[in-house]
Amino acid sequence: MKQFFYLLVLLLSINITAQETLPSAEIKTLDGTSTSLQELGKNNDIIVISLWATWCVPCKNELDAINDVYTDWQDETGVKVYAVSVDDSRTVSRVKPLVNGKAWDFEILLDTNNDLKRELGAATVPLTLIIKNGKIVYRHSGYTPGAEDELFEEIKKHS
Amino acid sequence: MKKITIFIVLILPFLSFAQETDTDTENNTVFSQFLNNLSGNLETNAQWYTNDSKLGEFEDPIAEFDLRDEQVRVNSYLRLDYNFLKNFSVGLQAESYEPLPLINYYPEYNDTQIATYYANFRNKTLDVTAGYFYEQFGSGVLLRAFEERQLGLNTVLRGGRIKYTPTDYLDVTALYGQQRVAFDVSESDIFGFDANFDISKVIEIKGVNRLNLGLSYVGKKEDFTPPVDEFDPSYEFDTTDFPEMINSYSARLDVDFGNVYFKTEYALKGEDVSFIPPALPGTGVIEGKYFDGNALIFTAGYSKKGLGISSTFRRLENMVSTAERNAKDISSLEFQFNMQNLNYLPTLTKQQDYSLANIYIYNVQPGLFLQNFGGQAGEIGNIVDVFYNFKKGSTLGGKYGTKFTANFAYWALLDAEFDQAESTYSAEFLKFGKRLNRDFNFEVRKKLSKNWSSIFTYINSIVDKGVALGGNLGTDGDIKSQVAIVDVTHKLDSGKSIRMEAQHLWTKQDRKNWVGGTIEYVANRRLAFYVSDIYDYGNDNEFSTETKAHYYNVGGSYTKGATRIALNYGRQRGGLLCVGGVCRIVPENTGLTLNLSTSF
Repeated sequence: MKQFFYLLVLLLSINITAQETLPSAEIKTLDGTSTSLQELGKNNDIIVISLWATWCVPCKNELDAINDVYTDWQDETGVKVYAVSVDDSRTVSRVKPLVNGKAWDFEILLDTNNDLKRELGAATVPLTLIIKNGKIVYRHSGYTPGAEDELFEEIKKHS
Repeated sequence: MKKITIFIVLILPFLSFAQETDTDTENNTVFSQFLNNLSGNLETNAQWYTNDSKLGEFEDPIAEFDLRDEQVRVNSYLRLDYNFLKNFSVGLQAESYEPLPLINYYPEYNDTQIATYYANFRNKTLDVTAGYFYEQFGSGVLLRAFEERQLGLNTVLRGGRIKYTPTDYLDVTALYGQQRVAFDVSESDIFGFDANFDISKVIEIKGVNRLNLGLSYVGKKEDFTPPVDEFDPSYEFDTTDFPEMINSYSARLDVDFGNVYFKTEYALKGEDVSFIPPALPGTGVIEGKYFDGNALIFTAGYSKKGLGISSTFRRLENMVSTAERNAKDISSLEFQFNMQNLNYLPTLTKQQDYSLANIYIYNVQPGLFLQNFGGQAGEIGNIVDVFYNFKKGSTLGGKYGTKFTANFAYWALLDAEFDQAESTYSAEFLKFGKRLNRDFNFEVRKKLSKNWSSIFTYINSIVDKGVALGGNLGTDGDIKSQVAIVDVTHKLDSGKSIRMEAQHLWTKQDRKNWVGGTIEYVANRRLAFYVSDIYDYGNDNEFSTETKAHYYNVGGSYTKGATRIALNYGRQRGGLLCVGGVCRIVPENTGLTLNLSTSF
């Protein structure tokens, strides 16, 4: 216990800044191509990453809500939303039919063994990130009704 | 309590630092450069177990602990990653379970140590790791090294791994390691090889979007010391052909025709020992007879905009695979805590979100138990999911559209015949034995107006008593239940909202009818409170050890940037706790819980 506290105190004593480098964990597209947040960050100006799962009610609420206004968001800011499913092999086969069943327009990515989730330290989902020029500029975990409006305010701030 | 106070005090300064996005004033020193390349996260789950007027005094369910009645316990995880020279990274994870792990955790988690560490080099074609690494081959039917903190599972491998991707249509992985077991590693060596060919990138086949072939090999080597027969110490165990080395193979094929897709995987697990229950005479393992296992998984799906259907058939025969063979023994602590699993065989039923829907649930039965019960060899069954979106403006869609989900699952024991005197068995290939689970789930999500939305759920399930409550399978009858849930959210002004949930469970078995409810108030996107209760009001079992009880909970959470703090007080229902397809029986308890997570 003691060593752990020392480690914590050490961490606190150095003024920690927000995570700059993007996680390098390998994630896959629905057709099996490998990519990573580093690559997505490189190829896009401003993107939103949402970690979600088929069994997570607030995650689906968040993505449903964003999907309703996604066209407006894109018209105004050109933002692109990537929904990264952390479903493991128990539920990963539900991802594609669910996404189509819900008629979502996002790019869907898979983090089946949770490498990205671990690297981001996402204890819970949903976790929403805004990435601008290869850096995480905004991070929020959890979803509450209406939070998509505040997310859009943040997107506009950075676009 | 003192410890929790200290902890909170220590943690508070974190909040102010955690999300300092303002880096304009940053001076470009070596030190700040170092910090820029450093990232990490911290998770702490603390619990203060209190005595309960209904459940009695708090007592740790595991008798082995010296300090078993320690009522304040803290599990913490700190992960650090450091990137340098473009292609390199190093990292570690420190873990602390003090003074003891939370109840429900494997008792060897009882220290503070650096639990895992790694060094990694990665470029476009090569990815080399030394130290601890996570991995999954295919669907994980032969190998999955993963972490599930809520259950205290961490099957990360310590050794080395090379991933090589010479072209865009081929990748190969080779690895060697020992599996992590609490703060130690297994006494076995694991070898793995995996290759994926993306055939559709080499030859173009009309109408085929994707054609992917995967091949895996997993080997396990563990020395064997012949056991001594307690009643006949002069007896010598015949070690001829004893499988110290187990070789397993799997092949998989994914085909995607656009709207229609298929996924299939077949695995063959090498011969391994089978255990005899401790109550029976002998040396604990069946001598001279060793059994191989196999798995077949087949998924077919159809989807287009607004409609998705997926069906998965799976047959598992003798597929329990552990890093050390003793963890296969159902009387071992490792088996009871799902420790040392080398592969991942999730329960394929719908993962339930609501509390009453999680009482009578199925748990996967992949193992061979020749001498236990009447014998069992594995499971067979199917799960089907349907997703449909009624369009805006249609009769059922209304103004905002209606989202409909249906799910059906059926699981049974393999139909098999056992000769317990000879220690042999034979299982039918595609025949269903005793039914263990059958359930229907329906869910309708409907936005009612600009500020009102709702979710309606109905579940009709039959699950074997032995699975749901523990005991013999297929002999004690079923638990038939129905659950109805209404979940309504009302959006108020300026980020405020209120959510109400009403649940009811009908059953004539076990603890009879239940009722439950939740009210959640979101003050703003950072701050939320909730109160919930479930109550087995129908419980009139005269001889039941579990009397009627309210399982009440009240709590709140605060989220700012990358930091989240949640505080909860309440009584937890015991029973089967399932996280990500792994289930474990947990005891009831009452107490105060603090969860904290942050990243930087």
